[in-house]
Amino acid sequence: MTGDFLALLQKNSFPALGGEGRNPLPLEATTVFAFHCAEGVIIGGDHRATAGNMIFSDRTEKILELDSHSLMAIAGVPAMAFEMARTLQTAFEFYRRSQLQTMSLAAKVRALSKLLRDNLPATLQGIGAVAPVFAGVESGDTVAKPVIYFYDPLGAHFEAAAYAASGSGSTTIKSVLHYLQTWGHPRPDEMPLNQAVVLANRLLMTAAEFDSATGGVHAEQQEFATIKLLSAQGIRTISTQEQAGFWKDGHS
Amino acid sequence: MTEEPYRWLEAIGNRREYIRDQLKGGTPVFAISRPEGILLLGVGQGQSKVFEIYDRHGLAALGHPVDIEKLRQAAIEAAHLEGFNRSARDVTLRRLISFSLSSLLKNAFEQVFAPPIIVESIFAEMGDSPGQDTLVRVHFDGDHQYSGAGVVVAHRETSVETEASEWIAKNLAPTDSLQRVATVCLVAWQTLNDSKRFQDLAAPSDKPAQIPGKVIEAALLDRKRTGSVHYRALDLK
Repeated sequence: MTGDFLALLQKNSFPALGGEGRNPLPLEATTVFAFHCAEGVIIGGDHRATAGNMIFSDRTEKILELDSHSLMAIAGVPAMAFEMARTLQTAFEFYRRSQLQTMSLAAKVRALSKLLRDNLPATLQGIGAVAPVFAGVESGDTVAKPVIYFYDPLGAHFEAAAYAASGSGSTTIKSVLHYLQTWGHPRPDEMPLNQAVVLANRLLMTAAEFDSATGGVHAEQQEFATIKLLSAQGIRTISTQEQAGFWKDGHS
Repeated sequence: MTEEPYRWLEAIGNRREYIRDQLKGGTPVFAISRPEGILLLGVGQGQSKVFEIYDRHGLAALGHPVDIEKLRQAAIEAAHLEGFNRSARDVTLRRLISFSLSSLLKNAFEQVFAPPIIVESIFAEMGDSPGQDTLVRVHFDGDHQYSGAGVVVAHRETSVETEASEWIAKNLAPTDSLQRVATVCLVAWQTLNDSKRFQDLAAPSDKPAQIPGKVIEAALLDRKRTGSVHYRALDLK
């Protein structure tokens, strides 16, 4: 007599949730990426969340600000990823307020690692894998250079020299970024903000050509990627209006 | 000793006296609701009087540093748990003080064999407009008084707090800069610290007040600041 209705359903062998023993298709969020530009790190993503071949939402925000100097771009199961982001947001602010100092960048990188490791059971069951991209800069250091980390679903973290991408469209994006970083003039890490923003949108358009789970950019309808710039001064969201201006200048 | 009721009352009386004696070295702190936000001000050693609690919440306190820290940690923990379990908008001073902090202080005060929490404090919650601000004066025994927009002073001598807050309010206009507000508070700080009366005190000049050898700790719960965090430390040199 615990008052737990869901436990009562299970006890009486009712197929309450999940339907006939079949796991529902997990919801997934793709595609996100980050690369260095002349003014810091550009971190961007599309707005699409899919469940199998179904488009679940085309209004998903995948670039999440953890605090004033760190960002997480999520790919994988949104339920887990959003909860990880919420946990980290609270953890970073709690640390700053209670310890009267900001958490170091290395500690933030490891905090995300730990959450991914804790999520291992859901990852192994195939219902909760998250493969995020993290970008951060040491706060309080006005000359610090922002860094990009990417993770495997078990929590190992790797610093990206020039770029990182995650999600189903990431292969295409990494290929293009590798090409540009090696033979481009200018290379992405030399691009000013306006060029870097145009590149970010073109990357998503290219990925969407080959991957149905990546939501495209439709400049004519004023639909652009979510793009944020991280620099030693903190985070700046590049608004749709700004992106439209850069796009127009880049294509005139 | 405490089996007999009158002995318990005597012990509580002694404890109150002991705490007031311990608070004698404390210097006043201020919270003032302004159009820009809520200004919190104290004079100490840097990060010893004025603190951030949550997105729209701050604390100014005087008392034993260890006990200020204890109260501060308890407030931060309760606020973050509430914000995580529900949402940031659900973190309110009314709930924090009534259900968490005042009972902690009252228990610590009445458990006569355990050390008391020697702190007098002001908690502040910024609203969308000055009329929605909440300032709470919290005493070492858990007793507390709510007030809306205005001026709240916490001092070792609670009897002069009203006189001080009325004098500050009288000498401030809504258009005054934060620097001017801080100057008025610092004149009041000096007056309270010197145990002088306010009735004959002249209006402060526009020259920024200084307290030699001390750090002016000031922060603003900034109404105009975008994003979730509204607290920012002010440099009032």
